[in-house]
Amino acid sequence: MAEVGRVNIRLPSAIKPGEVIRVRTLVIHPMEIVQRDKANKIIPRNYHFVHTMTVSYNGKEVMRNEFTQGVSQNPSITFPLKVDKPGKLTVSYADTQGKSYEGSVEVRFS
Amino acid sequence: MGACSLQDRRWFLRRLAVLVAGFGVAKDFVIPGPATGQTSQLGMPLPDELVEATIKRLFGNRQFQRGDDKIKVELPQIAEDGGSVAIGIDSSLPVSGAAALSHIYIVADKNRRPMLAKFSFTPESGRALVATSIRLATSTDVRVVAELSDGTLYSVTKPVRVTISGCDLPPQS
Repeated sequence: MAEVGRVNIRLPSAIKPGEVIRVRTLVIHPMEIVQRDKANKIIPRNYHFVHTMTVSYNGKEVMRNEFTQGVSQNPSITFPLKVDKPGKLTVSYADTQGKSYEGSVEVRFS
Repeated sequence: MGACSLQDRRWFLRRLAVLVAGFGVAKDFVIPGPATGQTSQLGMPLPDELVEATIKRLFGNRQFQRGDDKIKVELPQIAEDGGSVAIGIDSSLPVSGAAALSHIYIVADKNRRPMLAKFSFTPESGRALVATSIRLATSTDVRVVAELSDGTLYSVTKPVRVTISGCDLPPQS
């Protein structure tokens, strides 16, 4: 559990200006699912999962995704990004315990 | 030979014990204290919902158009582990202009809460494509709904057979 919140971002090996690239991201997170007791009743408590993911490029928000517990443990998300100029890509995740996890990578043309 | 396998078994049992102990600690660790503020309410379980209610809540009474030729959805026909089913979505619809694709929703008909994920695209996305893995409670239809900025809705439905549920945990005492 110590690793919770580690964010990995993978870019394609060669990027050309103006291209739409596929960015692969992964965040280590338990994405807890709702538990039930013996009477099949939902146990009410604050479940720990990522509810929002935001992507920004050079400081501008380019994507916002909302998740429920229907997304698997350690969510891996592949998303598109149109790169006209090089810059900094930041991905951040917010979870139901009020924590947020962030990862960033420099996008350069090859 | 026999001794070797016995040792292997002991090693395995020890590992198992360690794992179980670790899991217990982890569970204790993530149970939060008294709820404070709004963030801690976000994880509270919501009541079960039928897919019709979800669709109505998200899209009102708007009509869906068949999107099979506009949205390509990759899903396995048979998923052995419902806890992680890979889904890939790629659409030729533009993400900029007057009728831009703005949102993609993933809805699993027979999940307890059918709404799974919502992706929002901007012109900077360049193309509406996304891939992730989802949890499916049982064999179900999975709907992918694309919402355009002018309100048009396209939907694609794919059936998935699930061998092991991704949502059932053994009951807690």
